[in-house]
Amino acid sequence: MTLWPAALPLAAFSALVLGLVLQPLPWAFGVPWVPSLQLGLDFYVDALSVQFLLLITGIGTLVLVYASAYLAHEENPGRLVGTLLLFMLAMVGAVTADHLLLLFLFWELTSITSFFLVGFNHTDAAARAAARQALFVTVAGGLALLAGLILLAQMSGTWSLREVAAAGPQLAADPRLPAALVLVLLGCFTKSAQFPFHFWLPNAMSAPTPVSAFLHSATMVKLGIYLLARLDPAFNHLLLWEGLLIGVGTVTAVWAALLTLRERDLKRILARSTLSALGTLTLLVGLPSEQAGLAVIAFLFAHALYKAPLFFIAGNVDHATGSRSLDCLSGLRRRMPWTAAAAVLAAASMAGLPLSFGYLAKDVVSAAKAAGDLVLVAGYALLFVNAVAVAVAAVAAIRVFWGPLPAQYAAVREVPWRMRLPPLLIAALALEFEFLPNWVDPLLMEAARVVVRGEVAVPLASTHSFGTALTAAEITLVVGLLLFLFWEPLHRVVGRWEWVSRFDPGSGYERLITGLPRLAAGHTRALQDGRGSAYLRRSVGALLLAGLAAVGFGGYAWPPPLPATGLHPLALGGAAALIAGGALAAAFLRRRLALLLAVGLVGYASAVLFLFAGAPDVAFTQFVVETALVVVASAVLYRYAPAPRCPEPVLRNALLAAAAGLGTLWLLLQMFALPASGELPRWFAEHSLVEAYGRNVVNVILVDFRALDTLGEISVVLFSAVAAWPLLRRLRRGAGP
Amino acid sequence: MSARSPLLEQTAGGLYWLLLAASLWLLLRGHNAPGGGFIAGLVAVAGSALLAIVHGVERARRRLPLAPAALAAAGVLMALASGLPAVLSGQPFLTHLWGSIAGLKLSTVLVFDLGVLCAVWGAFSAYLFALLADGGDAP
Repeated sequence: MTLWPAALPLAAFSALVLGLVLQPLPWAFGVPWVPSLQLGLDFYVDALSVQFLLLITGIGTLVLVYASAYLAHEENPGRLVGTLLLFMLAMVGAVTADHLLLLFLFWELTSITSFFLVGFNHTDAAARAAARQALFVTVAGGLALLAGLILLAQMSGTWSLREVAAAGPQLAADPRLPAALVLVLLGCFTKSAQFPFHFWLPNAMSAPTPVSAFLHSATMVKLGIYLLARLDPAFNHLLLWEGLLIGVGTVTAVWAALLTLRERDLKRILARSTLSALGTLTLLVGLPSEQAGLAVIAFLFAHALYKAPLFFIAGNVDHATGSRSLDCLSGLRRRMPWTAAAAVLAAASMAGLPLSFGYLAKDVVSAAKAAGDLVLVAGYALLFVNAVAVAVAAVAAIRVFWGPLPAQYAAVREVPWRMRLPPLLIAALALEFEFLPNWVDPLLMEAARVVVRGEVAVPLASTHSFGTALTAAEITLVVGLLLFLFWEPLHRVVGRWEWVSRFDPGSGYERLITGLPRLAAGHTRALQDGRGSAYLRRSVGALLLAGLAAVGFGGYAWPPPLPATGLHPLALGGAAALIAGGALAAAFLRRRLALLLAVGLVGYASAVLFLFAGAPDVAFTQFVVETALVVVASAVLYRYAPAPRCPEPVLRNALLAAAAGLGTLWLLLQMFALPASGELPRWFAEHSLVEAYGRNVVNVILVDFRALDTLGEISVVLFSAVAAWPLLRRLRRGAGP
Repeated sequence: MSARSPLLEQTAGGLYWLLLAASLWLLLRGHNAPGGGFIAGLVAVAGSALLAIVHGVERARRRLPLAPAALAAAGVLMALASGLPAVLSGQPFLTHLWGSIAGLKLSTVLVFDLGVLCAVWGAFSAYLFALLADGGDAP
């Protein structure tokens, strides 16, 4: 496969660096679309955005270089590369969008492209399930996010993310704020795989390695953290916000660290430890101190720079040996020296060893925790989390690459250059940042200022001090190494804890996914039995319930007034007698044709009533409709054999019918009780002849005053006939001659 | 149908035309007296139904000016078109225009109402023929 696709993110990366040199931040630009609705393509790029943009385009370039070799034997690598490029575009949009809806749009686009990337090996059922799971969780969260963003926009009166963040403190009194925040947090937590939505991330590891390295360590999963960091200056004074961030972040970090010990698959181990890093980031965003802002930025950067290489390394090992299981991997350093070198560099950063960027980041993080007067329990929990990170780093670097080389790997060959270079380059770059902090320091400091909105006094590089922070780092290192040494016994012990898998929300997702179709099937079986009379019963029953609920609201007249009809008593009595006779006959007749005629009698008698009530048009229409109906229905009935007779709940039907009839009567009487305005009839009567030259007011209304309505109605008539045609044709085929 | 009525068979053809004439009459008088496009359309449907029941769907279909669905579509288009002259002369859509040729009052209202008639006639005939047919092609 060619390297050309990598030129695209490389060009973007170069343009970005050039722009940084030439044009001071922030950059804002926009294209108005519907100004009256405050809709527009508004973008705003500050240091926080730039940090993400550098990661997206920089790591993106190397991911595409890696993919060009990794996918050499794939059937259609173009599909993956194309989707990756689309995903990059979505990420770039998401971290630069200033309009909330634009942000949501790109946010969802990352979810959708991620679905296709995770499910790339679509012939593999597990990959399909993982893709679906990732999509369900992140898109459900995305919906919550949309609702939350709309609420925020309504409360602050602006769609600009920047202005919402600025207006945050004034929103504290708004009663809608808690709902808005919880909804936004749901969106962020699902995207960044926080507990209890974390389960999709390890499963998404069925994606090809370049995808895992890019989406699931460096970029997409950090999107939730990005939005949290953007909104934090506005809401970090709220207990709800702070409490949820710290609580959820801590639980995620600890739970993921525990689950890490249960894994055997190298890639899944890395995924679990990514979860734990994401939890730590959420916790850091929630911490109130100024130090925490810098810690978020530094740790986020460091994590991307060591986790992406580690994923590449796992991919290399998999590529070369065909295995990712810890059970058989060891001593690969002799066969894959370049990959081993990259692993050592990246692992050193992950473990926070001195002389690595990770060390710097860890230093800042510890300082932030110290300053953020964290609850003691959470402090200890994080010590455990960091120790597990150290152990994972050691596993990835030492366990896989040192020790005896198994015989079956004696012929293993180092991967091609395009796969060796990216992890080495990124890991070496991270190392560089420690020695030459001036390269990234200003940018990170600038980004930290976005997150905390204020002065960050301590420059990153000068935090080297031999205070308590360093001691904490040393303790972490020692505990981590102990964990590494006793990895196997620990793995066996933790693996035996049944409650862990029972408690994990991932099993809840499984139950939900298998339960929903079963619920739907049961619901369908219960309600859709295919019998006309049963459908009729349910529809009428539901209407009656709705009517009863309406009665509960009150506002009805009792006793309902009888309307003055002004009809001749003989006409009224005669028509009523005919209607009642027809209805009674319909209730007791058995033969279908006789039943039809009885129903027709009801219609004709109603027409007679209309005729006497001074509505000749309605009466006329009723006569014609009734005639056509009876003639056609009898012809049709004559043609089709009667359905087999089923036992009917006669009493229930009768009661329901009576209730429906009385309910309708009640409704009509109540309508008569409403004060009727004579304005419209008078207006139509006055203007009909003068303006539309017609004496028949009904017809004038139909063809002139409300002609547009009539046009709509005849269109409905036309389309109903067109739509019914296939159904009727099937009916005829099924019924036979 | 098994039970045939010679009387009906002899008169159905004539009755059909009579019903169509009644339909036209209802359409024309509709603006000033009870009647109008909808009722006229239903009367025409009754005529087609009579023909279809007595002489079969095929014959009733042949007697329609167009195929049922096409007739209904033509009706809707006619009603739409009746609103266009107003747009062309700068007035809101469906503002009806009146004129007279040789003492006979004519208007776009009549075109609109004729459209309603055709739409109702065509659409309900489509239903009718589909229900009564033993087979055959699309309406």
